Parts: sequence; structure tokens; C-alpha cells
Amino acid sequence: MKEELAKSSQSTISSFQVFLIHVCCGLALAVGFWVARNVYSINLIFDPTTTLRLIWAVEFPVVILLFSYFRQKPEKCSYLKAIARGLLGLPVGVLLNVLGALALGAPAGLQYFERTASWSLLMSSLTFVPTACVYGSCWTDWHRIFACTKPKGPLDFMLCLPAHGAVIGAWFGAWPMPLDWERPWQDWPICVSYGAMAGYVAGMVGSLGLALMHTGGKQLKAE
Amino acid sequence: MAPLTCTKLSVITITGIVTQIIGLSVFVFGFFPVKPALPGTSGSESFFAPACDFVGNLSDTTLPSDQLQSLYQELSGIPPSFDRLILMVIDGLPAEFVLGKNEKPPKKQFKEAMPYTQSLLVSGSAIGYHAKAAPPTVTMPRLKAMVSGAIGGFLDVAFNFNTQAMMDDNLLGQFFRIGWKMVMLGDETWIKLFPRLFKRHDGVSSFYVKDTVQVDQNVSRHLRDELSKDDWNLLILHYLGLDHVGHIDGRSSVLMAPKLKEMDEVVKLIHSSIIQSQINRPGRPLLMIVSDHGMTENGNHGGSTYEETDSLVLFIGLRNHIFEYASVINQIDIAPTLALLFGVPIPKNNVGVLIREAFDSLKEDQHLRALELNAWQLLRLLHAQLSGLPCRNLPCDAFYDHQSSSSSECNHTTENMLCCLYMEAAALYTSWKSKRGFESASNKDYSRTTSAYYKFLKSASEWLSRRTTDKPVKLLALGLATLFISSVILSSLMFCWLREIYHGGKQQTSNLNDRMNGWSFDETFIVSAVLILVTCMTSSSMVEEEHYTWYFLISTFYLLLLRKTAQSLSAVGLQSSFLMQKGQSGEGFFRICCIFLLLISGRILRGWHQGGVNWTSLPDISKWLEQAGSQYVKPLQLISAVLVISIGLFALFSIETKGKYFQMVRLSFLISGLLVLLHITRYQDYAFSSTNYGATFLVQIIYAILGAVTIGTVVALPWLIPLSTSKIFPADNTIASPIFPSIQEKFPLVELRDSLYVVGWAYILCWCLLQLLLQQPINTTPVLLLLLQIVAGVHYFVRSGTHHKEWVEIAGFYYLGMAGHFSLGNSNTLATIDVAGAFIGISNHSTFLSGILMFIITYASPMFILLSLVMYISTKSMAHLVIPEKANAGDLLMMLLGFPCLVPLVLNSILLTAYTVVLLLMQNHLFVWSVFSPKYLYVCATTVCTLIGVFIVAATGFYTYFVLAMRKEKACSS
Repeated sequence: MKEELAKSSQSTISSFQVFLIHVCCGLALAVGFWVARNVYSINLIFDPTTTLRLIWAVEFPVVILLFSYFRQKPEKCSYLKAIARGLLGLPVGVLLNVLGALALGAPAGLQYFERTASWSLLMSSLTFVPTACVYGSCWTDWHRIFACTKPKGPLDFMLCLPAHGAVIGAWFGAWPMPLDWERPWQDWPICVSYGAMAGYVAGMVGSLGLALMHTGGKQLKAE
Repeated sequence: MAPLTCTKLSVITITGIVTQIIGLSVFVFGFFPVKPALPGTSGSESFFAPACDFVGNLSDTTLPSDQLQSLYQELSGIPPSFDRLILMVIDGLPAEFVLGKNEKPPKKQFKEAMPYTQSLLVSGSAIGYHAKAAPPTVTMPRLKAMVSGAIGGFLDVAFNFNTQAMMDDNLLGQFFRIGWKMVMLGDETWIKLFPRLFKRHDGVSSFYVKDTVQVDQNVSRHLRDELSKDDWNLLILHYLGLDHVGHIDGRSSVLMAPKLKEMDEVVKLIHSSIIQSQINRPGRPLLMIVSDHGMTENGNHGGSTYEETDSLVLFIGLRNHIFEYASVINQIDIAPTLALLFGVPIPKNNVGVLIREAFDSLKEDQHLRALELNAWQLLRLLHAQLSGLPCRNLPCDAFYDHQSSSSSECNHTTENMLCCLYMEAAALYTSWKSKRGFESASNKDYSRTTSAYYKFLKSASEWLSRRTTDKPVKLLALGLATLFISSVILSSLMFCWLREIYHGGKQQTSNLNDRMNGWSFDETFIVSAVLILVTCMTSSSMVEEEHYTWYFLISTFYLLLLRKTAQSLSAVGLQSSFLMQKGQSGEGFFRICCIFLLLISGRILRGWHQGGVNWTSLPDISKWLEQAGSQYVKPLQLISAVLVISIGLFALFSIETKGKYFQMVRLSFLISGLLVLLHITRYQDYAFSSTNYGATFLVQIIYAILGAVTIGTVVALPWLIPLSTSKIFPADNTIASPIFPSIQEKFPLVELRDSLYVVGWAYILCWCLLQLLLQQPINTTPVLLLLLQIVAGVHYFVRSGTHHKEWVEIAGFYYLGMAGHFSLGNSNTLATIDVAGAFIGISNHSTFLSGILMFIITYASPMFILLSLVMYISTKSMAHLVIPEKANAGDLLMMLLGFPCLVPLVLNSILLTAYTVVLLLMQNHLFVWSVFSPKYLYVCATTVCTLIGVFIVAATGFYTYFVLAMRKEKACSS
């Protein structure tokens, strides 16, 4: 009973909705790439800054609009407020991502600043903005999702797994950078962005799977 | 399984260490055979039999060159066949391209590309050989082998990678001594090897591998000019283009045939000019076309496959010979052949054998004399390597009985066999000489003698060269197995112990913290970091850029710590932390500050030196500061030095215990700190401060004070520290525990903690001051940052109590030390070792002392971490570590010292074993000489560093504890 009460306080989400959101986010990434390639004829390797910004420009509105719909306590918090929270969350996320990247060794020179900033914009909208839209500035939820990694329910999975996937993917994406293969994609932040996006997609798949298992488990119990 | 006791733990650990040392030495002995080389250069003594102590060789050096030349000619009895030599080196040309393979002609496209050379071969005026090159098939060692006839061992190559000029006895030096004028066009490696030997030279760099045209044009542009001059005796042409073609596209590149065509044109040009000049000029020039090594199908070289070692030797100008197919010689055979053809002594360490066909034009007696000279030279070398060679006592006149040595004896030991072969040949030669005058059937004797000589020469040469290149497989396997066993011993010991502590003793630990039982994220990370490091070792570019791995791992570790701290910050804690100054939230904030300090200082350290190989040219802080000029470096250095000294002194002053002795320790560290500052301000400006008497004296005083104070503190402190009565400091929260008084009654915990703290800081301060003195000025700030990192790390771990397991913390420190090692500007190439610093404060040259100083400078950071573990031990709370009821001294010591000693040993032994396996797997890799073997030397030195550091930690801990326990017992009984 208690569990159900706790659930009901959270805005519920069906696995179909999870699927829909993930497909939209994934599609947005793909559309971003497609537009960059076919409309502006640029790609990540030759013009990382513009391409990253372009992908971000497609991804960010999708993310913020979709996730604000699943905001916590919808009776107290309007849709617009959730969007505003997401918009506020973006610069904070950018700052944290920039600091994290610098700490892990991203080049600190001024000539790299634009690239780092564009990369952080994208990373922030993949990791930080969804949670900001849904939970606002509630420390307990942030603590649960990001510090302890103890998500409960499909909504938490949906926020937690892709974000962690993006960060871990970016971490792994950095490994080829020091190698002497002399490939253009070894530059900061190209392979890191690829890694982040791959990790993000993997996280989305994982979250979808967990959401399906979760609902499946519940149905079994109900039977 | 019986629980581990202190004795058991230490016995097993020591067993593991001893096994490791044995395994490492066996492996190193097997992998790097030390080859005794003869010093000096060959002179006229080489024309006499080896057993006769020739005394007159001192006069050689004083003779003018033309007299020396005639002396050599007179002594050798062989008139020089040629007077000029044109040595054309085509870098990376496989002999297969010119001579074919397996008695088949070369590929059609290559044959057609070199019409002139092929016609020379067909007509017999050129003789070609497949010359087998010894690995490493890289240009410089190959050139050295060609001119000296010696094969360098593994260590020779590793250590001579930076010292460029060739010091050993070699052909060019011999030619120079008899007054030859030499001209060099082409690869500047020659100029690096032989500076000042060339009368004229035009070096081209092999750096721009993409350029295949200009490098060769730069050689050929002088060619006509030089060929028309007659002021030289040796002309070296070294063409790099073909090697570059290979590096770009491999053997079957479309550029290959045009390049061969170009080379053929050069051969044609030279040969026709030789033919022309022979009409005008007396004397005979010899044209020799050689390649230093071959190339693989992809165009790489360095290893030991047939494709890489198949190099070319082509003589043009010898007596005409027509061969069906080319025979195989060794590349080193070039040296003795050229030496005797041109009438100079064979280089001392030559292992090569005369090329038979080169001497066919000589008379019989001259040919035999040449063989005898070659045999004597090899016999000298054999004497140096085999002290028990039985044919040492040869009669000087070499008249001995033919019958005395029958061939039946020639098959016992190597020594006997070689010796017997030599005796046989020498005896045949003697009898041939005696018969020559009056017997007509000497032709048969002659061929018997030559074949006997060649038999000896071949087997001696083979035996000598095998000594330097062959690796004793059994020895290597034994060493590797021993290393493996030792790392299994150490890691299984640690594993058992971990299980015992965290699972076996659940009753005690569960009340401390529930998380202790789980396998948390940071532990997983520490373990997977080892796996990542091992994986990275297998790639040559990751070995070159190893620092990136360490930086990345250590900063990820810091971020994980940050996350862990955030976990422990409860929701309430965060909200109230702005109001509350004390309590858990305050602690949490302090820890977060520590981590930020770690992150920031780590990032600055990372940016300080752009290490490695590929990205060294990128901007970094040290380059930026050096460009800005000394007016910025100097103040920064002074500020850092002052900060380091004041942090150390502050830490020493922060202990509450008073007493004359403490004051003395502080005072002496203050004095030595001031002296170091004085040295920095007064003497480090001069580039050559080591020559300055005052500076040397000052540094020696500092060494003396530091040594005396540190050793004095370690030895005397446990005796002098006042024993506390059983009262506990109320302000101390690290030891506060209900069960504490009962333990304190039994063990001198407070005193132990205090003295370890002071000793630990004495170590740290002593090490820091040494580094301030020895490191380059630019590295002073990294030393400060490292100290800050250690202090912040220790404080973080103290404040977080039992959140982290102790072994995780120590492993984190170990990683920090390795990251710091690279941030002080070190890398995995031998080039970054700071040699200049190794002579600070040494008044007369001593390899041993400067070696120690070099070690101190290079291993500043890992040693720093290990030394600071003493201080780290003292800050850990000890009360909960022992079970009060059944506690004994062994348990306490084990809990205290076990992990700080075991964790670095385990980590190091795993890395060492893994890298040994990698080295064995990579022994035929292209970069085994330039990347993997220097890295192995570093790994060995890290092992030494770890062993020393752990020994210091353990010895300090044991000594302090036993002295205090003894005093406590006495105090209680009295």
C-alpha cells in the first residue's frame, strides 16, 4: 500500500510513453545529424562547433518540451514553469559539464572554448535538462538519481539511464584522443561527442527495457 | 583457513618480494645479456698473433697519418686493392628487389626498373649478396653494425639512443686515422654518428617521411661535382627516398619503380665516371651499394622478419665473377672486408667474416694472411668473452706441430671446439707456408687451409653474434614464471586478508558502516583501472602517451570521490549547512573543498608539462613561463618554495606536544629550508652552478643537515617522546571511542600516532626540500601542488572516516603518485631524464652518487607518495581497528601497516608482471627498441622505488612501535 501511495504521488508514466519519448529524443539526434549533413553540408569532423550547436538546436526543444510534460506534481507546477526550469537548468548543466570536462583534461586554451561550450550545451540537454524539467530543484530527487543512482520507477529510469549513459559514453569516447593515428576525429570534442551520443542511445534502450520489465512485473503481480 | 597473523602476513609478503626480485633479475639477465666489449681501437698490434703481448702499440697514436698508413701496409703484408671507396647506401632497399629470392630472379617490374644494375650483375662486374641484418632493423644501429662489425645488445641500443656520436672502434675512425678525406651526402644520421670526421657534408633529415623526391635530389645535386673532384678517399651517399616510399605505401607502391629507376641512374652515373677516371688516374676505386635494412610488405621495418633483415650488398669493381644466384652473408661482414681491402686494422669488436669473393683477386699468400688477421681479431674477442679459452697460451711464433691437434677433439665444448678449429687452421697455414717454396702441389693445401680458416671464422662469428642476439628462452620463461608467482602470492594474500577483514569479522565491522560490506563503485573503479592500465601497455602509442591514462584515471577517481561525498550529504544536511558550522554537513563541505583542491591542482599539474612523444609541441604552462622569461619563473619558484617550507613547518608546529627535542627538529628544518631558499636565490641563476665551489659547498651542507635531521628524528623520536598518562585529549575526535581507554592501557597508541605524524612530516619535508634543491626551477610549483594534493587527500580521507576502504585510499594515493611522476615532466623515453640535476652538490665525478641523485629527481613523485604514507597512517583512527578483548601487538601492527605496505606492492607487481608479458610478446615489434624497452627500464626502476618506499614505511612503523611498547612496558612495571 505504501509503495502504491508513493507511486501515485509521482506522475505516472506508461512504458509506451517512455518508448515515445525515447524515440523522439533519438530521432531528434538523427534529424540534427541529417540537417547538418544534407542542409548545411557540415559534419562533426570538419566543423564540430557548428554541428554540435545545430544538433543541440534540434535536440534541446524536443527534450524540454517532452520532459516538461511529465513534470513532478503537475497540479502545483504549470507546464510553462517546467519549461522555465529546464531553461534555467541548461546554463547550470553547461557549467557543470564544462568544469567536469576541464577536470578530466579537456584543453583549456581559449581557442577551444567555443568547442567546449557547444559540446557542453549538447551534454547539458542530454543529461541535466530533463531532470531539471521533471524535478526542478528538489535536492532529494537529484540526490537519488545522480548521487546514489537509485532510480525508482520508469520515470526515474528515463532520466537516470540516458544521462549516465551519455556521461560514461563520453568518458569512453575520450580514450582514442591521445593515440597517434592522425585521424581528424581524434580532436576534442569529436570522438567524445560520438561517445556521448552512443552512450545516450544505449541508455535510452536500457531505460526502455527496464520500463518494460517494470510494467511487465507489475502486470504479473496483478494477475 | 586460519586467520592471518602479523608474522604470517609479513613472512608471506617478504616471500613475495624476494620471489619478485629473483624473477625480475633472472628476466633482466636473460633479456639484456651483457656483452663484454673490448675497449679502445685496433692499432698495429692487430697484425700480430693475440697471445704475444705487443708493447709498441702506444706509438701508433703519435704517428702521423701517412706513416701510419705505410706501417699498416708493411705489417699486414697485403697491398691495398683499392684506394677510393664510394659507399652508396639506399635506405630500406630489400635485396629481393635486385637479386630476387630463393634463387629466382626479382620481379619483372623491379628488374626493368634497374636495367644498368642488372646488366652489371649479368656481366659479372657486380657481385651481389643478401646481407642478413640483425634486429633492430633501424637505420642508426644498422649503420653502426656496418662500420664496426659489431652487433649491439639490447641495453647498448637502449642506452645509446640519446648519445649520438659513435665511440667504438669503427672503419671510419680507422680511415680517418690513416689520413683519409671523407665526404658525406645524405642522411644526417652519419653526421650525428661521426661528427667532425667529414671534410664536406650535406645532411638531409629523415624527418619528413612524406617527402620522397626532394630528399634524394638533395643528395644527387652534389654528385657530379664530387665525382669530378679527387680530393676524397671515401664518398658516402645515403639515399632515404626509397625508405620513405615504403613508409607511405609499402613494397608495392606505384612510386617504387620510379624510385628504383632513379637509383639505377645514380649507379650508372657513378660507374661511368669511375670507368672514365680510371683512364686518367692511377688507382682503383671501389663502388659499394648497400642497404641498411629491408622492409615488410607494408613498408615498415625494425623487427626481425626475413623481409626486414634482407638487406643488399653489391660490390662493383671487383674482379669479374658470374654467379647463378647471390649467396647470403651477414651485414657485419662488410666491416672486416672493407678494412682489409683498404689496409686498415679490423675494428676491435668486429664479429664479421671476410667476404670470400672480395679477396679472390689477391695472391694466395695474401688471401691466407687476410684470413689469419681476421682469425686473430676474432680470437681476441673470444678471449674477452670466454676467459677459459684453452688456446690462450699459443706460442708467439706460431710454429707448432701439425699432429698435436687432431680433428677428433673438435667436438667437446664450445671453447674446445672453437679453439681446436683455430689450431687446425693455423697449423695448416704454417705447413702451407713451409711447403710453399718448393712444392708444386700446394694448391690443394691452399684450398684446405682456406676452408679450415673459414670454418673457424664462421663458427666463431656465429657463436659471438648469437651471444648478443639470442635470448635464452628458458631463462626468460623462468623469470616470467617467478614474477607471475610472486604477483599471485601478493595479490592472493591481499585478497584473503580483505575477505577476512570485511567479511569474516562481520560482527565488528557491521556496526561501523553498512556500506563496508558492499562492493562499491570506487572499489570497482580502482580494480578496473588496473585492467585498463594493463590493456594500455600493449599499444605502443599508449605507452608513449601513458601520462594521459594516469591523468584521466586519477581525475575520474576524484570525480567519483566527489560523487561519493555528495551521496553522504543528506537532504537535510544540505539545507542546514548554510546555517550550521559544525556537524556532519560542515564535514561534508570540508571534504568537498578538499576534492576541489585535488581536482584543481591535478588539472594544473596535468597542464604543466606536455609530455609524451606526439603532442610535446603543444603549448603548456612550463613552456609559457619559460617564454615569459625568468622574471616570472623566479618569483613563482620562490613563492612555491616558501609555501612548501611553510606548509611543512606549520604541520610540524601543529602538534601539541612540547619538548626541547621537537623544537630542535623544527629549528633544523627551518634552517635547512632557509638554506635551500638561499641556494635558490643565489646560485640557481647560473647555468653551471655545479662548477661553483660555494654552491657545491652549500648544497653539501644542506644534504648533511637534512640527512642528519631526518635520520635523527626517525631514530631518536620514539625514545624521546613523552609517554602520556592514560588521559585522552578531549578535543581529538579521531581516536574518541568508548573502547579506547582499554586499548590505550595496553598499547602506546597516542604516542605512536604522534611520533609517526612527526616522522612522517620529517620525511615529507626532507623529500620536498631535496626536490626544491634538485628539480629544475620550473618544477618547483609542481612540487608544491603535489604536496597540496597529498595534504588535501589525507585530510579528505581522514574526514570521511570509514566511507572508503583503506586499500582504496592507498591505491588512490599510488595512482596520484604515478600521475605526479608524469606531471614533473617525465615520460617513457629516456630523453626526459634530468641529467643536469644529477650533479648538483657533487664535487668530484661519481657515477654512483649522480645515479642516486638522478633516481631522486626522476622518482620524486612516487617516492613522495610512499613516504607520505607514514603520515597518512598516523592520521587514521586506530581504535576501531583492533578488537579490544583479544588484541595483541601483532594485530595492531598488521592493521596499521598491512595495507600501506601491501597495496603498493600488489599494484606494482601486477603492472610489472603484465608489462613483462607485453615485452616478451612485443620483442619483434617495430618499436621494441624505441618504446617498449625504455618503458621496461622505467618499470624496473618503479619497482625498485616501490620496494624502497615500502621498506621505509614498514621499517619506520615497526621500529617506532617496538621502541614505544618497550618503554611503555618499562613505565608500567616500574
